[in-house]
Amino acid sequence: MYRLFLAIRYLLTRPINLLGMGGIAIGVWALVVVVSLFSGFLQVIEDHVQASRSDIVATELPAWAEWPALRDALQHDPNVAGMAPRLLHYGLLVEPGKRPPPAPLPGRSAMHGGDQPFLFVFGVQADLEAKATKFDSWIRHPDIPEAMRVRDLTDPLAPIKNTPTVLLGIDRMRREGLKPGDSLRLMTANLKRDRDGRMTPIEIDVELIVGGAYQTNHGGFDGNNVFVDLATLQQAIFPDAPNQVQEIAIRVNDPTQLEATAGRLHREVQRTLEKEGRGYGSVQTWREKNSLFIKNVAHQRELLKIVLTVIMIVAAFLMLATLSMMVTEKTADIGILTAMGGTPSGVTMVFLSCGLVITGVGVVIGLTTGVVTAVYLEEIRQSWLWATGHDLFPLSVYNLTRVPCRIEPLWLLQVTGMAMVTGLIVSVLPALRAARHDPLISLRGV
Amino acid sequence: MSTILRATGITKNYAIGKQQIPVLRGVDLSIKAGEKVALLGTSGAGKSTLLHLLGLLDAPTSGTIEYDGREVQSLPVGERARLRHQQVGFVFQFYHLIPELTALQNVLLARMMDTSVLQYWGKRKQAKASAVEMLQHVGLGERLHHRPTELSGGERQRVAIARALIAEPKIVLADEPTGNLDSATAKEVVDLMFTIQQERQLAFLLVTHDEGLATRCDRIIRMKDGYVVDQDLTSDEQAR
Ligand SMILES: Nc1ncnc2c1ncn2[C@@H]1O[C@H](COP(=O)(O)OP(=O)(O)OP(=O)(O)O)[C@@H](O)[C@H]1O
Ligand SMILES: [Mg+2]
Repeated sequence: MYRLFLAIRYLLTRPINLLGMGGIAIGVWALVVVVSLFSGFLQVIEDHVQASRSDIVATELPAWAEWPALRDALQHDPNVAGMAPRLLHYGLLVEPGKRPPPAPLPGRSAMHGGDQPFLFVFGVQADLEAKATKFDSWIRHPDIPEAMRVRDLTDPLAPIKNTPTVLLGIDRMRREGLKPGDSLRLMTANLKRDRDGRMTPIEIDVELIVGGAYQTNHGGFDGNNVFVDLATLQQAIFPDAPNQVQEIAIRVNDPTQLEATAGRLHREVQRTLEKEGRGYGSVQTWREKNSLFIKNVAHQRELLKIVLTVIMIVAAFLMLATLSMMVTEKTADIGILTAMGGTPSGVTMVFLSCGLVITGVGVVIGLTTGVVTAVYLEEIRQSWLWATGHDLFPLSVYNLTRVPCRIEPLWLLQVTGMAMVTGLIVSVLPALRAARHDPLISLRGV
Repeated sequence: MSTILRATGITKNYAIGKQQIPVLRGVDLSIKAGEKVALLGTSGAGKSTLLHLLGLLDAPTSGTIEYDGREVQSLPVGERARLRHQQVGFVFQFYHLIPELTALQNVLLARMMDTSVLQYWGKRKQAKASAVEMLQHVGLGERLHHRPTELSGGERQRVAIARALIAEPKIVLADEPTGNLDSATAKEVVDLMFTIQQERQLAFLLVTHDEGLATRCDRIIRMKDGYVVDQDLTSDEQAR
């Protein structure tokens, strides 16, 4: 009992120990808040990415990949619920009489919502696409005002006045002041192999009419992808290959079997597209397909963990300094404790308890304030915005309705463990020094 | 009366570098329950060293120390600490109170030494009551919540006495307890100690340079250069 009692008394009479405690609390707080924010963000991004993709996609299909053959090969898989063929191209969408917008600064990532003037153009069959992705809900998204909607939701890519239509992300449409019925030109090029085997670029220019808006919630996707009818794109870029397919979007029945299904489909695609003993094409889950992006955010979270741990290390040094000072100051007490029936291990425990109490209280303060901050991040953002006019976390960039936050109990445990171990390590050194101190020295002296 | 503490053939050498300095060169003494013994001797004779050995704060180079007939000098550290707590109360010349604690807390601390947090929690009221009573007994009922810096020397020594007695030891080892006090205060403190000694039938080993004080004891042991030179009854008793 005397160990804890004395430890607490020592601490209460030495406010300097609050430094170490505050340091630990700040470290724990930062680790909880920032990592919860990032975990929440990561979750949101995964959700958004998933919402804008099919469960599985067959990509990197070679020039001889044909939709009917692949469809027949893949549709027997028990876990395949729906499939949609796609053609993929790129180009500029230009309003007649307007210049194309200038290229953005290099390095501005499309994935983080910075829309590029250069677009990916998806050629899809609306009815099949709806079976493989959430295409139907994208064009029916409640955020799309009536005036921007596709006229005929049952046939969203139907031509208007005999001109093929294009669907754009709602934000991009707003930004560029487009509305359904506006004329656009898709300007792009394709490489064509001439008789000598040389590749020459051929200019492609397709007249389009804005059919309406779509919204997937994944801003990075919506801003940079447009949909046209499969046949339109096929005629423009593969006029000689009506069955050509570049990508197949696949929906599964049982999402828990995603990896296994992707594996089976991969083998099936490779087998179907085999040429000269070699398989072609690749099948990926939505997570694999976007792994770089998701990993990127996850990686940033890990980096932040390391950076924030530095706070904890600084706090640990503070604790080491104050505890060492205290032991030096308190050597006189070691003699009397021993005379009253204390042992060296008991003396060690007095000073170890000091360190553990500092760490423990620091961790508790850090955890509670951290969790509260994380839970009320959105409210904090709003108050800050209201008070200073500065938006700490612009939600619209990420298509969010509130600041994301995900408090992971395991992480809280890890932070607690990390802090306690750090506190223990820096307390052990001074405590052992106290235990090695000869009690007789202080009993003899003044 | 039974002998509670017996030391036989105690020697103690201190090593300074490679050299062994003999400080105690074979000390024999025994103390009976309820007996007051004064330990006199020139400075450097080894009185404090002997007291530390008898109080199990240090181990003798050779010789045996018995408490209630049980040899204790080579017991493990924890055992010796427990014995020290149960059997011995120390009073020092320089009080050695813990400055962060109030008078009451200093006394309570001695009570906490061998209990766990839970054990102590169970009897905390009782412990506090007995500590208050102890302090009242030494005349500090009005000074319970004073820190050592807020007490006079005599008051500090009273706290130290209360602390030495709270765990109900059988023997008190006092090393020049009045060495730092003026003669009037010293007399008060000594009177107090002897009153309590009488009440509780404590054994008392009192190191002092004060011949007058020594004669108030039942017996005087004189030391010189690590030897006991004279171990005798006080002059009063001899006269009888
Ligand atoms: N740790 C030590 N190392 C070496 N020598 C020591 C040590 N402690 C004490 N001594 C020596 O032992 C001798 C006896 O010391 P001790 O403190 O027991 O004397 P004392 O009789 O209590 O003297 P005083 O009346 O001045 O208190 C002294 O000569 C001292 O120098
Ligand atoms: Mg001495």
